[in-house]
Amino acid sequence: MLVDETKCVACGNCIDYCPMNAISLTAECAAVDQAECVECGVCLRSECCPTGALYRPELNYPRDIACFFSDPEATHPSTDVPGRGTEEMKTNEVTGRFPPGMAAIAIELGRPGIGTRFTDVEKVARAMAEFGVEFEPQNPVTALMIDKRAGTLPDDLKPVKVLSAIVEFGAPLEKVPAILQRLKEVEGELETVFSLDLAARVPEDGSLPFAGLELPYPLSINGKTNVGLGKPRFRE
Amino acid sequence: MTHTLHRQGTAENLAHDFCVLAISAQGINSAGSGEKLQAIKEIFLKHNPVNIGDIKRGNMYNPSTEHVMAATQDGTVVHAVYRDRETLIAVLRDLKDADTGISIVVSGLFDHVGECCQQAGLKPHTIEYSLGVHGAVERLPERSITEITTMCGHGQVSFNLVRRMVREIEAGRRTAEDAGKELARQCICGIFNPKRAEELLLKLASK
Repeated sequence: MLVDETKCVACGNCIDYCPMNAISLTAECAAVDQAECVECGVCLRSECCPTGALYRPELNYPRDIACFFSDPEATHPSTDVPGRGTEEMKTNEVTGRFPPGMAAIAIELGRPGIGTRFTDVEKVARAMAEFGVEFEPQNPVTALMIDKRAGTLPDDLKPVKVLSAIVEFGAPLEKVPAILQRLKEVEGELETVFSLDLAARVPEDGSLPFAGLELPYPLSINGKTNVGLGKPRFRE
Repeated sequence: MTHTLHRQGTAENLAHDFCVLAISAQGINSAGSGEKLQAIKEIFLKHNPVNIGDIKRGNMYNPSTEHVMAATQDGTVVHAVYRDRETLIAVLRDLKDADTGISIVVSGLFDHVGECCQQAGLKPHTIEYSLGVHGAVERLPERSITEITTMCGHGQVSFNLVRRMVREIEAGRRTAEDAGKELARQCICGIFNPKRAEELLLKLASK
């Protein structure tokens, strides 16, 4: 995002709207720190600028990547789903993406509200790759990997900052405790936060899918439930 | 796309926060899904949500309910937020009867959502837990701020905007209701619960 200096009246109204705290004010004009701006578009959509001084220039690689991961209105060509993620468990009754006995793990770097550079994304992806996981092919982070078995990303992408990016893969339920334990070891090396989630099919008897597993992170009291209304139903 | 997950809060304040999402599966039932998603929006609206949105058209506060309802593209994702279990049960019953074949995901306290599914005659297929926030958590603001901002899973509501709303409520320049709506405007999907935000902002302003 940029500021048209001929239009800006230095009112400062835009500053608090920026999720990345990337806008500052001088006596004459607002300025957007390009190293911190993630092209999320919040400042534009909020219409917080009374003179329309904020604008998004044409974005080229790798800055366009920041936009795909940060602006929910942008759709990455690898997913065809708006935003930085995938359909994951939301359509599982139709896609069969996670069959019984398999868990879906998503590690969302930068969330909530801190942002991440791809350096941290790669640290986590490489650690998870040690378990031979198959990264979700529809996920835009996977699409950017230059080695999908090792979880490595292009060097020129690593300094790029995005609002968040999700390392996403499936794993057999019994492997989940060891994988999450490895994640716990990587935690201290990160410059950002991550939100962690775990999904699985509800067993036929209606019991909880992770009952009996000793996990190094606590399960939340709230979360998402796919109520099974999608059709055609996937047949195992 | 886990945007309706990771809503932080207590059992008490999450008890009035149910987010319902409808999505088609790309390459399977997305072609022609616009009409079905429009029917789902109509069901959502009939039950007086505190927010409704379409990721391709915005939410009821930005730009307006009329704009959200006016058209629906194939493959979009639509959402609505409700405050109580009775309404959620009624919405789920209508969605079941409509039989659109579009996937429906409900976010909320698992105990409450499970009970509502049972009442509506639905059997949960897949569930997703949050396992919390980790890493450099010292960079985060106090929990009372993130309980509000995490209602937008795409991170469009800034910590500083919440602080500003609190200051404006304290100064009498804005009502808590208006502040909740201003925050909801930023979350284009329409999954932000402005009534819950209003309650949490009032608590912050009275400190």
